[in-house]
Amino acid sequence: MMNNLQYFLIPFLDWHIMGLLWGGVLAGIWVGAIPGLSGTMAVSLLISFTFSWELNNALAVMCGVFVGAVYGGAITAILLNIPGAPAAIATGMDGYPLAKKGLAGKAIGLCTTVSFFASMVGVVTLAVAAPIIANFALKFSPRDFFLLAAMGILLIGSIGGGDPVKGIMAGVVGILISMVGMDPSTGELRYTFGNLNLMAGISFVTAMIGLFGVSEALTQFRDSRAKSPKQDLTKIMPDWTTFKKYLPLALRSSAIGVFIGALPGTGGDVAALLAYDQAKRTIRHPETPFGQGALEGIVAPETANKGAIGGAFIPMLTLGIPGDAITAIMIGALFIHGLRPGPMLMIETPHLFWMIVSMLTISSVALFVLGLLSVRPFSKIIEIPKSIIMPVVIILSVIGTYAIQNSVTDVFYMIGFGALGYFMRLYGYPTGPMVLGIILGPLLDSNYRRAMQGAENEIAQFIAGFFTSPISLFLTLAIAFMLFSQTKTYRKLRGID
Amino acid sequence: MRKMLAGLAVALLVFAAGDAFAAYPEKNIQGYIMWGAGGGTDGFARAATPIAETNLGATVILQNKTGAAGAIATTLVLSQPADGYNLLYAAENPATYRILGLSDYSFNDLEPIIIPIEGTVVICVAPETPYKTIQDLVEASKGDSKIKMGSSGIGGLPYVASAMMKSIHGSGFNFIQFDGDGPGATALMGGHIDVMPLALSTSSEYVRGGRLRALAVLRTERVPQLPDVPAITEIYPEYSKFLPWGPFYGVFVKKGTPADVVNALTDAFLKASNDERFDTFAKNSGGIKINLTGDAAKEYLAKFESTASWLVYNSGGAKKSPAEFKIPEPK
Repeated sequence: MMNNLQYFLIPFLDWHIMGLLWGGVLAGIWVGAIPGLSGTMAVSLLISFTFSWELNNALAVMCGVFVGAVYGGAITAILLNIPGAPAAIATGMDGYPLAKKGLAGKAIGLCTTVSFFASMVGVVTLAVAAPIIANFALKFSPRDFFLLAAMGILLIGSIGGGDPVKGIMAGVVGILISMVGMDPSTGELRYTFGNLNLMAGISFVTAMIGLFGVSEALTQFRDSRAKSPKQDLTKIMPDWTTFKKYLPLALRSSAIGVFIGALPGTGGDVAALLAYDQAKRTIRHPETPFGQGALEGIVAPETANKGAIGGAFIPMLTLGIPGDAITAIMIGALFIHGLRPGPMLMIETPHLFWMIVSMLTISSVALFVLGLLSVRPFSKIIEIPKSIIMPVVIILSVIGTYAIQNSVTDVFYMIGFGALGYFMRLYGYPTGPMVLGIILGPLLDSNYRRAMQGAENEIAQFIAGFFTSPISLFLTLAIAFMLFSQTKTYRKLRGID
Repeated sequence: MRKMLAGLAVALLVFAAGDAFAAYPEKNIQGYIMWGAGGGTDGFARAATPIAETNLGATVILQNKTGAAGAIATTLVLSQPADGYNLLYAAENPATYRILGLSDYSFNDLEPIIIPIEGTVVICVAPETPYKTIQDLVEASKGDSKIKMGSSGIGGLPYVASAMMKSIHGSGFNFIQFDGDGPGATALMGGHIDVMPLALSTSSEYVRGGRLRALAVLRTERVPQLPDVPAITEIYPEYSKFLPWGPFYGVFVKKGTPADVVNALTDAFLKASNDERFDTFAKNSGGIKINLTGDAAKEYLAKFESTASWLVYNSGGAKKSPAEFKIPEPK
């Protein structure tokens, strides 16, 4: 125990590590905020960059960038309605209406405060309960991932807004887009029309940049003469009463985040969407309705994606299994620094575990301080005339898309999605469900196939599985409840009209 | 004035000459890893590349391009110009693409840069399964058993290993497909599948940590990483006709890449493979250093192709006969 405390304190006393952590967070915030540049991209570049460094220093800068980038995604989502990272997709839905009312400062201030809180929930959970949660996460079968993806698909109703039929149509097209390429199970070609470029599939980040970034920029051009709202920056930090009011939601959403983050293969993006939906279903009387600037709509996704950071480290450090895309890259970093990530890592190198816990703690503090300090300069962005800021967004979208895999094809896809998104918005089709479909399609597809193969391709056995395994049963009931809660009978029962 | 013009001309000439002799590499190189993050191919790529990068003096941007047993990454690299700016980090899979009908490509379309590591396959089961020894598994799997075996696709490592079992014992399994070794091992630890032949690099730490039980290594002798696990030939000598066979990891470029580029890459990766840091990685991850380049690598690939193709074909998994592609039967 004394030893662990000692390991935990090392980064606090080492100015070098401290500097790298703070620098990493600051860089991460910018990487996250710029549409197209993502934390995953930054961390994978850092692997080569930090190869000759000492392991602790390399890990410090990676942890810092990870935490900063998840937070940075929210900034552009709130200010410009363009999520800078996949984990911030849900944040713009209420964040941007707030910014339009001149409350961007309040929104970012609250976002920063609850982010710090959630990030700490994730770190503390990692420190005290990692082995228990990791073992539980292992119990998630392909059938359970299938149910989780199905639950995600039901979100189309929550993030569509307006006409549900149009939302569903967009979502289905999104799922179809995700199927382009080689079948993950048999290798058969789907929707490729003999085109080589289509064989590799369409990356959801490319689609996201087009559908959210470029199409939003084009839409805002239509009323580019509209005056930008004057931002009220007198009160950024939420007071104690406000914080207390959102605390239960923040705690609930952080818990969702930690757990979804700990599941191998799902990360902050899925966590944030599920948490947003959960908030929308459980909070019946927000001060402002969801979609029009509810603060709950910022708290839920932003705490979930921060909680998912600590969560993603849980299976990585206890079992050597990545919890999300970034921890997968960090496992590679451990390998090339001569360590052996696996179940023995925590037993043979306990200092590594405590160092990472400590680095994440410092990164969270850095996020809080740097986040609050940058609210004022960031809020100025929204006051820049549209005719200046939107071309910049388009240029950054092109650069960011190209940078993902140095592919010009991706840039064309992105522009195509931008145009598609523009016309979708024009005719009242929401773009969110389409991106959701592209993210969840592969999760749904491959896990359905695995679950079916596991049930020997017998439909009766497949369906029986939903009720015999406790986790599946819980998820099935949750989905049943989500469906039931939309019916008139339920609304009558609860006395909601 | 004339002096200045002459100077300019000389400068231009030098500039032009410099351009003509511009040494490879003059821009970033793309590296496509055919399997997912956390698997054996991925680990090898991420360990070797940073060292090779410093030798090359260029950045290699690594990315995982998974799907269809690596055929997506292979096709992607082969659809680019043969200029050495697109590397393929491959496992053994292209050896069976043609007979499986996955792709018209094979190792014949690729130029090996280096095959530094040969791996070993370990037959692993989930700890809660009743199979304590390889004999238990063999007996239980005879006929058309419902034992769930994790697979990485027809022609992948687990599939070929099961083809050996089918050919020798008549074993049959219910295959469940994963995106590679890493995700498969995760499902095995969770008990969602019963058995999966895994690369030693993926499984050794899990076995050491008691998360998986190793029944046998598919080799003729035991491996130092798992000294208590028997070599398969100790129990079933019949396997020796298929051995040595195992996964390997290598770096490839498109065939037709200029020789000086291939040499530059081979040099860089050979130096990387001999680096002390890479040695540690190879040892930790259960690889055996073979460092094959040039013709030796090509010969190795041809031999592997013959063994794997005929095994898959004889077990009924192939769409086309290896004879169609003039792949000789193993002796």
